[in-house]
Amino acid sequence: MTDGVGVLTAFGRALREEGVPVGTGRIASFCRAAALLSPEDLYWAGRATLLGRREQIPVYDRVFSAFFGGEEALVAPPPRPSPVVIEEELALASPIELLRQKSFARCSRDELEQLAALLAQLRLTVPRRRTRRMTPARSGVPDLRRTLRRSFRTGGEPLERRFRARRRRRRRLVLVLDVSGSMADYSRALLVFAHAALRADRRWEAFCFGTRLTRVTRALDVSRPDEALERAAEEVVDWNGGTRIGECLKQLLDEYGHRGLVRGAVVVLCSDGLEIGDPALLAEQMARLSRLAYRVIWLNPLKGDEAYEPLARGMQASLPYVDVFQAGHNLASLEELGVELSSLDP
Amino acid sequence: MLFGSVEEVERALAHESYLPDRGLATAIFLALAMRRPLLLEGEAGVGKTEVGKTLARVVDAELIRLQCYEGIDASQALYEWDYARQLLYARALQAGEIEPDKRVAELYGAEFLVERPLLRAIRSGAGAVLLIDELDRADDEFEAFLLEVLSDFSVTVPELGTIAAEKPPAVVITSNRTRELHDALKRRCLYHWIDFPDLNREVAIIRLRAPAVSEGLARSVAQAVAQLRGLDLVKLPGAAEAIDWAQALAHLGVESADGESARETLGWVIKNREDLSRVEPLLPELLRD
Repeated sequence: MTDGVGVLTAFGRALREEGVPVGTGRIASFCRAAALLSPEDLYWAGRATLLGRREQIPVYDRVFSAFFGGEEALVAPPPRPSPVVIEEELALASPIELLRQKSFARCSRDELEQLAALLAQLRLTVPRRRTRRMTPARSGVPDLRRTLRRSFRTGGEPLERRFRARRRRRRRLVLVLDVSGSMADYSRALLVFAHAALRADRRWEAFCFGTRLTRVTRALDVSRPDEALERAAEEVVDWNGGTRIGECLKQLLDEYGHRGLVRGAVVVLCSDGLEIGDPALLAEQMARLSRLAYRVIWLNPLKGDEAYEPLARGMQASLPYVDVFQAGHNLASLEELGVELSSLDP
Repeated sequence: MLFGSVEEVERALAHESYLPDRGLATAIFLALAMRRPLLLEGEAGVGKTEVGKTLARVVDAELIRLQCYEGIDASQALYEWDYARQLLYARALQAGEIEPDKRVAELYGAEFLVERPLLRAIRSGAGAVLLIDELDRADDEFEAFLLEVLSDFSVTVPELGTIAAEKPPAVVITSNRTRELHDALKRRCLYHWIDFPDLNREVAIIRLRAPAVSEGLARSVAQAVAQLRGLDLVKLPGAAEAIDWAQALAHLGVESADGESARETLGWVIKNREDLSRVEPLLPELLRD
């Protein structure tokens, strides 16, 4: 048996090498499970005890067959893309008021850094919704528990009556940022915005897309903006490429939306709407999105130009499903977004 | 309550009209043998909740179900005092109808304690199967609380003392993955992902669950459903939908899922308008083979 434990432990460690978080506790469970089962069921013993999520199953299968099936060499992980570098521009530090009005596209790297500090102060007030949890309130339904506790002070006579009401909770904010080539001038600033916004609430989410969708919520979950941007850049593989908004939205709704991430949320899409995919697919997905989400907000930096008209096919297909259509090309307009959001609260 | 082997689990569940695959049967066997909660994930309609219900029948235990929802808290999951009754009782105390020295003790007597699912499961111990359904809907705080209860199966009610289970109940937890559960909780559990059944098992499941359905009809429904799962649909039909569809077709008196009756009953398998409009034109092609 000692030898068996050695082999099973080595297998657990091999799995750990491949990125599955297998602790000693899990390996101990695995050994106990294996002892209870016949050798043919070793595969299932490991699956039930060593794993904790579906995504780990393919890795497990691979390691299992390599370890117990005698197959050779595991596949190396794909190389990471290098982080984006934004061109440096020569510019003097501008007063804050000018910076607020300056389009992100014309900001230098230094200015963007200043903006990051300003964006960090931007507080978004997102509409709230009633939850099922009750909280003490001045009026509402009788709170018998507190009323009774109070009544003990007055000899069991419930003189002072207490009430409770449904708690109200901020809705989830989901940011979906276009990082394709046509948005290159804005994507860095928008990511800084996302980083700042996400720090307000840990249930909020951010995604980047170009030709495919990447969830960057976790990458942005560090305190320093430039580190967050670097981490996000490592995860997003399609910087400065084309834009397939329809397909990416479909991916968002299929993978996260119907599982509840988008349901009842405030969704902010930042894109110029220059779709290279099928506008019909985009319209279909926007319709799905608008049915699932509480409000859909579209920020289009091109709208910062007063002569802009939403003529791009993708933009036209989407507009019927957009509740708020704004620019978001500079700090002032992002601040306006904050005002707009708080006015959505019924 | 313990099974001797994985095969025994398979047989016992099949006897209660549930056909598990080898992986699920192994996971159930291990969960019972190692006294660990079993965490089940999978698409909607693959029979996660059914595992808990069937297990209760198999081991002849009381099924205690805790349906989770957002905002669920300890007073809805564990216990609560019956405040209205306490209030009335306190009034009676004032009227001097009860002996003074017993007053406080009686006000927090067991008869005023409203038992919720978790406390009931702890009290029943090995005589119960605790089904914690859709845990992903509850919030983080509740999960942390649940972890505490699941790790030692004892609860302290300040006024009454500690209540502990002699032998912990069997626990089945289900999740639809609307959010990722915490690793701490997962580490306590055995994990199994329930996949869609393969063709033969699906036929067997339909036949077992809907005895009025003929072998031929069951097979054609299972084939059609397998095809539908291959399409890129918003909501994939589960075993539950396959059973409903087969039953609907059997009521119409048809012998296989094709033609007009399949089109008319499509709402039993496809429950999303976009999916319906995608599937309808493809239907003749799907049902041909």
